[in-house]
Amino acid sequence: MEWDVSARDQDDFENVVLKGECDLYSAPGFAKAMLSRIAGGATRLRLDLSELHYLDSSGVGAIIRILQEAKRRGCELRFSGVGGSPRKALKMSNILALMREDSRP
Amino acid sequence: MKRLIIRKLIVDERNELFDAQGMRYAAFPSDFARIREFTTLVLADCPETFKEGNLLEQQLSEIIKNGIKHGNRNDTAKRLRVWYDLRKRVRFIVEDEGSGFAELERWNEFFKKRQTALFKEDFDAFLGLASYRGPGSDDEDGGNSLIAALEYWNGGMIFNGAKNKVGVVRWFSRGSE
Repeated sequence: MEWDVSARDQDDFENVVLKGECDLYSAPGFAKAMLSRIAGGATRLRLDLSELHYLDSSGVGAIIRILQEAKRRGCELRFSGVGGSPRKALKMSNILALMREDSRP
Repeated sequence: MKRLIIRKLIVDERNELFDAQGMRYAAFPSDFARIREFTTLVLADCPETFKEGNLLEQQLSEIIKNGIKHGNRNDTAKRLRVWYDLRKRVRFIVEDEGSGFAELERWNEFFKKRQTALFKEDFDAFLGLASYRGPGSDDEDGGNSLIAALEYWNGGMIFNGAKNKVGVVRWFSRGSE
């Protein structure tokens, strides 16, 4: 899996676009990068999953860790483009209930 | 009125889900780096309608991962055995050579607390309980594969008495749900 981080938008959100497959091999590295970003002072972060095609329990676990760390450090975390099988995986784990979604990329 | 229904992991040595008669069989070394490859091999000629995008691949991969990582401790000398039947519905039996899922009852207790927090919409508590963390967990474990599995395997998910073998089945009402 790859991810791109864009410059802050007009709402001061950093947008992170996840691409490909977030699985047991790639999820730990992604979680580590996002936790580091939050620990480094990110205050508004949006994860865009519109180009993500596969999400397993390790990927869901990464999102849970990011949600926990964002709450702990007061980082506003939003999600966009959550569809397809990644959405089903998040729904089956009940994690959608914790995710603030908006329609912007 | 909303009702709280909490599923459980069940142990039933004699459950019919462990009847492997007529099922196909494959065995794999416990190579963590090849988990998704093994999953692809088992599903090579699975009807598309059962795959639901890549949802079936994802869920089978979780079971294979649990057997290889938590059961066999990534010991490549230990085998993971898979029986599978992809006719009319998808059914699998996956057996590792480990000492069994000793934390099963602890996991059921965790899941009860988790789902109760969700039911009460106590999202602060739920966030803290979102992932299972046991003595064998590490930072790379998602901690939620069994949660989704209880939802996905709608025909049952049963452990044998030694808790090193699991039988699962998913039915499809119209080919695919």
